[in-house]
Amino acid sequence: MSESNSATESKNSGIKKIDDQGILKGVEGLTPEKIESVIQQVITNETGARLKVYVDTCVHCGLCSKGCHYYLSLNDPKFSPAGKVKQTLAEIMQKKGKVSPEFIKQAAVIAYTQCNLCKRCAMYCPFGLDVAYVMSVMRRICHKLGVVPLYIQDTAHSHSVTMNQMWVKDDEWVDTLMWQEEEAQEAFENLRIPLDIEGADLFYSVIGPEPKFRAQLIFQAAVIMNAVGENWTMPSMPGWDNSDMCMFTGDYEMMERLKRCHFESALNLRAKRIVMGECGHAFRSVYDVGNRALGWRMPPIEIIHAIDYFNELFEQNRIKIKKKFDTPVTLHDPCNVSRGRGLHDKARNLVNATCSNFIEMVPNREHNYCCSAGGGVINCGPPFKNARVESGKEKARQLLEAKEKGAKVVIAPCHNCHGGLEDIIHHYNVGMELKFFGDIIYEILDLP
Amino acid sequence: MKRFINNVVAAFVVAIIGVSLAVISYGTINAKECFDINKESVESNTNTRAFVCFEHDAHNEKASIESCDRCHHVYNEKGVLVDGESSEDQSCAECHAGGASTKSGDSKVLDIDLAAKYHKLCRDCHLTEKKGPVACVECHKK
Amino acid sequence: MHDLYSFFTGPFAWLTFIVFIGGSVWRFSSLWQLAQKKDGHVFEYMDTKFALRSIAHWLVPFGSRSMKLNPAMTVVTFLFHICLFITPIFVFGHVILWKENFNISWFTLPNAVADVMTFIVIASCIFFLWRRITLPEVKYLTTPSDFVILFIVAAPFITGFWVYHQFAGSAFMTIIHIISGEVMLMAIPFTKLFHMFLFPFTRGYIGSEFGGVRMAKDW
Repeated sequence: MSESNSATESKNSGIKKIDDQGILKGVEGLTPEKIESVIQQVITNETGARLKVYVDTCVHCGLCSKGCHYYLSLNDPKFSPAGKVKQTLAEIMQKKGKVSPEFIKQAAVIAYTQCNLCKRCAMYCPFGLDVAYVMSVMRRICHKLGVVPLYIQDTAHSHSVTMNQMWVKDDEWVDTLMWQEEEAQEAFENLRIPLDIEGADLFYSVIGPEPKFRAQLIFQAAVIMNAVGENWTMPSMPGWDNSDMCMFTGDYEMMERLKRCHFESALNLRAKRIVMGECGHAFRSVYDVGNRALGWRMPPIEIIHAIDYFNELFEQNRIKIKKKFDTPVTLHDPCNVSRGRGLHDKARNLVNATCSNFIEMVPNREHNYCCSAGGGVINCGPPFKNARVESGKEKARQLLEAKEKGAKVVIAPCHNCHGGLEDIIHHYNVGMELKFFGDIIYEILDLP
Repeated sequence: MKRFINNVVAAFVVAIIGVSLAVISYGTINAKECFDINKESVESNTNTRAFVCFEHDAHNEKASIESCDRCHHVYNEKGVLVDGESSEDQSCAECHAGGASTKSGDSKVLDIDLAAKYHKLCRDCHLTEKKGPVACVECHKK
Repeated sequence: MHDLYSFFTGPFAWLTFIVFIGGSVWRFSSLWQLAQKKDGHVFEYMDTKFALRSIAHWLVPFGSRSMKLNPAMTVVTFLFHICLFITPIFVFGHVILWKENFNISWFTLPNAVADVMTFIVIASCIFFLWRRITLPEVKYLTTPSDFVILFIVAAPFITGFWVYHQFAGSAFMTIIHIISGEVMLMAIPFTKLFHMFLFPFTRGYIGSEFGGVRMAKDW
């Protein structure tokens, strides 16, 4: 093991040391024949002209570099988007799948931990080549080869066993909701978290980590829903978790099961629309990726992200606040809802409706830097944490710039971003506080 | 780095302007006794290559051409070459009148049809005989 | 000289046209068929309005943030591509050949303009070469074939400049000029030069995804 480890510290790689049992054990079982046959399977059955064009059209101009926060943070060409393609699919296509287990080991680290699939580079490449797609194909190959980082693979296993990301058992889920209901009743008399109501206006779904680690977010959401008199419901059975780590490991079959379960959960209750908590990747999985995999051009039921929903409450004057949040705030646009759904304008409306002092970080909106945690990178866990935080250097610089202009609080309407930004803020001594929109609205809410 | 890039851009622009000025100011054509087709139109045209001084007698002597119809050909109405007849008393444009210039009688306008015909006449023969100039610069000398 | 001229303006020129047009049609149609078979989503999400919106932003100098971050590259690349296309099509020395061989002709460029434009192409290629050699993020990506392609593109312009200015050996250089132009045309379908045909599709598709699904700008 240690021998193969030291071999990975080659000069040609941006990878320092691989200490991940999922990848190391996975690679041990590989033979060149198996690699070739799996690659051929993926390339010929699952991809087509798009991948070919993306790999062949790249003229190696290097302009994508400035689109990638990894490159900007580490200033190493191996971390530019095209640099990552060069180290993965470009070589695979050139060698027609005849690559070594060692190559796959490197490629897995690159695809799973050195790209957040944020698609910012597509906005910097003159041809609009989608490197996130190429990295996803690489992940798909790694998944089929069984070379997946241990921690994210564990969440994928949880998905397949429990239909949620965090091994939450069916009774634990309902218990948690009832517990939060009880807690919230102290703040709001007769508050309910309605379960399995048929025909509700709004089906509220969350990600697995909410009941597991951040149950107060469910509490907050329940208070807001009750304060505005929403006709809402949550499901008591699997389907409540909208998150999707299988989308990021490359386990598309499992992703389809998850999305189907989530959609069916809402559709069986004849809900009018799905409102989801402040999560980016889950939104991507439901709004963009999962529905396509299942054959729907757009989601079969309207999908509303919390930003959109909260903004709607303010625009329709359905919500009353005591006073605006007056600590100066800045806004981090999460890739999956800004670049992924154009919610940045609504997010700004919402900031202005709830906060009295708003300072933009630069660049912003579609051009905002990723938190370095997205695309499943943070879910690859401790073995890759230091590398992840290092690649957030540019993000830290951007945050410090906003801090210099006076911002004290960062609003990040995404769970992944919270995780990533928390580590960045801590590591670089940024000294800013992180909040969800829900936190702020809960704080300023004028309860009846 | 930014300053460096700016310098590169500046150098690039200066170089382009410099070369263009040099090119524009360059070039006067020496006139000598030449067999002249539309000389004025060629010399006044900024788009064409340099005027070609075709020294008729020297050429024919060198190429041992005795019969005029080798170049001054005549075609009948059916488009068949008429043997033994020649057309040195006519201007080329009388038959090869493709452009507006001949119709309007304005010789200062270059007739690209005529130029094309002239090129073909010379070059086709040179290629057949494997003698004489064929590349542009071999005739259009500055 | 005469045999070379006859060959490279005759059979070899026809071969060039066949390889260039036939090769391009072949490569394009094989990609199209593959896309129809395997990439149904591309057709499903392609949207004319958003595709054109994206293409327009990327065809206007400094129309994207990426271009603003790389001003030198933007200026050079726009001048380069414009001159690369306009010069060979509209230089008088080429138009007269169309007239002679196919009896069609069109607008021509003044010599001085064509000359400057040729110089721009050559200078741009030197700039690209400089980028490839010195900028780490470009150097890392650069393969030997990138240098070959750069040379293939620069060669017709270097030789054309040579011939026009009648430097030493310009008669023979004319033959090299003809060959280099033919090599460039024949290389297009089989190299990264094919990006000229793929640009509207790659840009248009990402523009459609960003416009129609992601509801965000992609410039």
